[in-house]
Amino acid sequence: MSILELAHPTLNHFLVLGAVLFCIGLYGALAKRNAIAILMGIEVMLNAVNITLVAFSFYNTVKPFSTYLTGQIFAIFIITVAAAEAAVALAMIISIYRKRSTVDVGEINLMKW
Amino acid sequence: MIYQYSWLILLAPLLSFVVIIFGTRMWDLASRPRATGASDAGHSHGHTDAAGHGHDDHEAHGDEHDSHGHNDDDDPKVPVLSWGARFSAYVGIFIMLASCVFSWYLLLNSVLNPDVLTYAGTDLTLHWNWGNLAALAPYAISFHVDHLALTMLVVVTTISLLVQIYSQGYMENSAGYARFFSYLSLFTFSMLVIVFAANFLVIFVGWELVGLSSYLLIGFWINKRARPDEDRPSPATAAVQAFVVNRIGDVGFIIGIMILFWKTGTYSFAALSGTGPQSVAHAFAGDSTLLTIAMVCIFCGAIGKSAQVPLQIWLPNAMEGPTPVSALIHAATMVAAGVYMVARTFPLFAASGSTAFEVVAWIGAITALYAALTALTQTDFKRVLAYSTISQLGYMFVGLGVSGAVDPEKFGAGPGMFHLFTHAFFKALLFLAAGSVISNLHHATHEEVQDMRKMGGLAKFMPITAITYLVAAFTISGFPFLSGFYSKDTIISLAHTNAATIPSFYGIWVLTLLTAGLTAFYMFRAYIVAFGGKGGKYAGFGGSREGEPELYRGVGTPHEAPWTITLPLVLLAIASIVAGYWFGLFSYLTPRAENISFMEIVTDGWTWLGVFIAFAGIAWAWNLYVRVGWERVHEVVENNAVLRALHRLTLHKFYLDDFYYWLTKYVFLGIAHIAAAFDSSIVDGIVNGVAGLVAGLGKGLRRTETGKVQSYMYGFFGGVAALVIIVLVLVAFTQGGVKNLW
Repeated sequence: MSILELAHPTLNHFLVLGAVLFCIGLYGALAKRNAIAILMGIEVMLNAVNITLVAFSFYNTVKPFSTYLTGQIFAIFIITVAAAEAAVALAMIISIYRKRSTVDVGEINLMKW
Repeated sequence: MIYQYSWLILLAPLLSFVVIIFGTRMWDLASRPRATGASDAGHSHGHTDAAGHGHDDHEAHGDEHDSHGHNDDDDPKVPVLSWGARFSAYVGIFIMLASCVFSWYLLLNSVLNPDVLTYAGTDLTLHWNWGNLAALAPYAISFHVDHLALTMLVVVTTISLLVQIYSQGYMENSAGYARFFSYLSLFTFSMLVIVFAANFLVIFVGWELVGLSSYLLIGFWINKRARPDEDRPSPATAAVQAFVVNRIGDVGFIIGIMILFWKTGTYSFAALSGTGPQSVAHAFAGDSTLLTIAMVCIFCGAIGKSAQVPLQIWLPNAMEGPTPVSALIHAATMVAAGVYMVARTFPLFAASGSTAFEVVAWIGAITALYAALTALTQTDFKRVLAYSTISQLGYMFVGLGVSGAVDPEKFGAGPGMFHLFTHAFFKALLFLAAGSVISNLHHATHEEVQDMRKMGGLAKFMPITAITYLVAAFTISGFPFLSGFYSKDTIISLAHTNAATIPSFYGIWVLTLLTAGLTAFYMFRAYIVAFGGKGGKYAGFGGSREGEPELYRGVGTPHEAPWTITLPLVLLAIASIVAGYWFGLFSYLTPRAENISFMEIVTDGWTWLGVFIAFAGIAWAWNLYVRVGWERVHEVVENNAVLRALHRLTLHKFYLDDFYYWLTKYVFLGIAHIAAAFDSSIVDGIVNGVAGLVAGLGKGLRRTETGKVQSYMYGFFGGVAALVIIVLVLVAFTQGGVKNLW
């Protein structure tokens, strides 16, 4: 088995990459106190999912990919929605910052009992 | 066939009820001036009364505060009846007149042409079987007309018609005039539901409707207070008592119906009494004990509704209602329902053997004697009549019981129904005459006089009332050749005849004979004390003899009633005389039944024993209250320890009422307190405990709601991770390992 064959990317490589990216994003979203960093974590997670979707679609052996671009189209939709979500979320963060002079989610806890 | 359309008679009173309540009564209320409206009419009574009657009212107001106090809580009056109110009466009377004529036509047609209506009768075209759902077929609302129903039908419509005509005079200027007539129509409708019922469910609905109507009418004078000095409760209390006591009987009724349905799967009278698989004869084959229990339970309903011992206490108190209502209740619509129901279920009783019939007969006989003994000493004019009704109802049950216990086919429900038929007329007459007296004395004295001791010598003032009352008193006493003579004698002689088979009926025979004498005595006691008295000329009709004191012991000068009151009295007096001459009734009601015959009755020696006992009662009443005078009688009784004790005993109804009050106050109320404690501590405790637990949990769990977005994210992703792990574990166990997932 040559090194090239080993380097040739298979579906599993992309799935592992997606999983790693997803966990990094999840860690960022859960552990960071800065609201913008959390937003970035979420974006990383979304992109990890995009990679997985495209990979599944590309390595689809049941049907030729030229006829089925579901994964790719799904990824484009996610990118679009993520852009909108980022716009709304950043607007909210700015609004919160103007009111409370902080973006630390540990201190943004008014919505409780 | 015309009989299928007799539901027109059934729905006619309902129609007049609706028309009066939503039509003419609204008209009446709308046309009434605000100042004398129903809400404040009770207080402005003094003014309206004065406006209506003129100056002579003021005398009564000035000197007697007590009488004014009574007037204050009287029926609210209006100075002039509006056309809306008058039309309420006209609607009720006109519709009832049409129903009455139609009913008599149907009855006479079927009597004269036996072919037009068979004994099995015919179903009415008015029925509803729940959209033909097979599962609901036993619960169909269906009506049926047969000979028994027709007999009852003419009684109900006739008495109802006469009572409504009479009420125009009796309820004059009452603020609740329109409402009163609507209730009368509702009452008649309720009774007709019972009359036409084809199954137990419908008869039970009618049964409860009658209870409701009687509640509304007994408690009609809602403003009236209790009078403890005369031992009279308030109408509201009496209405509640009537309702509650009837419910006690109804419990038994329901249980009986449920036993029958449980075993047979049908409520229909025709199916139950037939020979098919749903008949009691088939379903209870070899288990007549259970059927007997069921029938005795059903009879409990009749005990409550027909005021038999031990549930008789409500009927005398129901006297607090307006007198036309008493007449209706006692003659046609309420207490007759119990007798009618037993007559209706006669074949079922017969199928259960003789025990249930013996229970019926004994309850009836004991009630007859108890009520007659109680009536001996009552001083309230209407209460005497109330007890006489209870007593006569006892006779009817004796008639049903002794006829069924030996040979149900021989006479059928005839004797009991015969007495019900004749009794309806003379009892309505007695009540309407009593109402005439009370109404006229109210005009004369401006207060409600029901105590006989405040009457006396009224025959001179109101001769028509007196004569008609006298006719009724003779009839109820069994005076020869009046209707009561035939119907009562039939029952007594039947008890004697059937005692040859069931010896215990000799006891019933003796009780009924004794009751006959007591009945004659107390009826004439009431007549003499109210209408005559010691020293009267021409039996009181000519006033008092010269040198004797005035017979009338009250104040003012009473007058004879208007024609609306006297016309029903005269008609009923005629009916009381001739109603007993329907000798074909027995074979009309029951196929192949033997009829009574005039010759048999008058040639039977036992008949004349009964008549002799009745005459003895009349003579003794004459002796005590005409020759001796009631004041002197009272004196003698009070001075003799034994007589005084007996007098107290019957005056207080053998302390049965007091016993019930004691029972209610200390036993039932005690149980109720225990039940209330159980309810508030255990039942409520469980509910409140669960609620407290949930509230506490919520209080604790709301701490998890931190408001920090990342803690929610932990929950969210942790939940997803947990789900994935659970799925994997499940797959591992069910699919034989995680590797099979791939």
